[in-house]
Amino acid sequence: MNLNSFLLMRHEIVLIAVALIILIAEIFTSEQNKGRIRGLAIILFALNTIIGFFPATTGTLFGGMFTTIPLHIVVKNILNIGTLIVLIQSNAWLKTEENSDKFPEFYVLLISTLVGMFYMISAGDFLMFYLGLELATIPLAALVAYDRFRSQSAEGGIKLILSSAFSSGIMLYGISMIYGMYGSIYFDMLSPAMAMNSLTILAFIFFFAGMAFKISLVPFHLWAADVYEGAPVNITSYLSVISKGAAVFILTVILFKVFPTISDLWQKVVWVIAVMTMTIGNLFAIRQQNLKRFIAFSSISQAGFFLLGVIGGNEMGMTAIVYYMLVYIFSNLGVFGVIAIISNKSGKENMDDYNGLYHTNPMLSLTMMLALFSLAGIPPVAGFFGKFFLFTAAAQKGFYILVLIATINTIISLYYYLLIVKAMFINKSENPIPYFKSDFYTKLGLGICIAGLVIVGFASGIWETISKLAFGM
Amino acid sequence: MSGEFLILFFIVAVVLVGGAIIFSNYAAPTSENAVKHDPYECGIPTKGLTWLQFNVGYYLFAIIFLVFDVEIVFVFPWAVVMKDLGMSAFIEIVIFFFVLVLGLMYAWKKKALVWE
Repeated sequence: MNLNSFLLMRHEIVLIAVALIILIAEIFTSEQNKGRIRGLAIILFALNTIIGFFPATTGTLFGGMFTTIPLHIVVKNILNIGTLIVLIQSNAWLKTEENSDKFPEFYVLLISTLVGMFYMISAGDFLMFYLGLELATIPLAALVAYDRFRSQSAEGGIKLILSSAFSSGIMLYGISMIYGMYGSIYFDMLSPAMAMNSLTILAFIFFFAGMAFKISLVPFHLWAADVYEGAPVNITSYLSVISKGAAVFILTVILFKVFPTISDLWQKVVWVIAVMTMTIGNLFAIRQQNLKRFIAFSSISQAGFFLLGVIGGNEMGMTAIVYYMLVYIFSNLGVFGVIAIISNKSGKENMDDYNGLYHTNPMLSLTMMLALFSLAGIPPVAGFFGKFFLFTAAAQKGFYILVLIATINTIISLYYYLLIVKAMFINKSENPIPYFKSDFYTKLGLGICIAGLVIVGFASGIWETISKLAFGM
Repeated sequence: MSGEFLILFFIVAVVLVGGAIIFSNYAAPTSENAVKHDPYECGIPTKGLTWLQFNVGYYLFAIIFLVFDVEIVFVFPWAVVMKDLGMSAFIEIVIFFFVLVLGLMYAWKKKALVWE
């Protein structure tokens, strides 16, 4: 192994360097200059995002534990963009007095979780996959409990760490069965050896249940709402977009790569889970008043839509998932950006508080409307194309009933997304949230989201690039 | 392997473990006395309540200690074959030390080493 081969891990190494530089800056700056770390972190991370787009080499490292293919690089770049938006949006929140002594840790922890996700995405065997998954989860629990003197935040942190420890245990049990039967944990060696027998089925079910916990698919979703509500808004946005996207991607890769021989089985499992996730997520979302809880359930039901791409097991599905991940990042972060700024300025998070928002803050309302339309899948914005491709991927393999159910669920979701739009534009209110001026970073973050929503839908080059690479796995 | 084996394994596991617990509970000689209910504290009788609150500083010390404990695991194998591995391994271990020292300095700056 020479130093040149380490360039395969370029995305990870650059990220670790960014985290270390922020940590060094935190140690060596005096109290007065500490505020500059915020700007430094955003600039460094923007640089990292740009470096990510440089042409990269592909190959394997550590005897096949770590692999890089062009599709991995695309997904990493997408996650980089999403995290950059999260960092830009959280700038205003980190500026507040209560965070003045601990904001550098926010960056270090957040970047550590992203490093974990990158290793997870590039994993070539179950060990690397598991290490990446834990690196992505444990700092996240610390981030959820970031407002440590607010009891809801601490409760969310402990719930996340307990449920993730539990699900990791279940998943590891499944992996241990696979190792016990086939004597290997490398994806490449497992896929030809895998045969349909009862122990394999059991192993698959354990593994899938563990992953379903992490993605919060329906029978395993109960932790999500409390954690999402308890966490600070910016962390919730990260949790529901970036970490969910990475987990869905790796689940898809493992289902395609390790379990292709039992695809008849897992297609049935995914079918049932997808229907339950979409429907139950939607039905619970209708009744929510707190916007963070609302988005939590809406993102549970969005995870069900992701499964439509998983179920086909084809190139189209893979492309649709990566594409929808990109769209979902822009739309959900747009919604969260608005919720975060309103929650920070006025402390209000309920739907009734948004009554008459259009008359006081028209720009914010329009941004929110556009992002919600994208989540619901209304044509001019990118969300429509994302959903359309997911449906196409499932229909290509003949899952017509599933597509029909998904379409009905889209209509149900339209109802509750429009409830917020109605509150903002039509409902009258005696004391609406007063007008306020947003700072530069907030405007930048929301601007990127809107630009993404409009451009990603129409720039067909993005879809074609992903589609070309999707079969590389 | 068929499904019957799986069920059989499960039953055997439950019977073996459960049986061992129940049987030892039933068959072992029992002796009850006051000393036996004490928490183990090196033979000295406990004073006061055992459910005390501990200073959180203990945990911080334990975590910092753990970091250096794990460090040994990595450094020792490297030190044994240092000459064979050459320069690149040396650079890697220097980077490793650098990250560790950074962590210690961070703990220092955050006053984790001060006993309050």
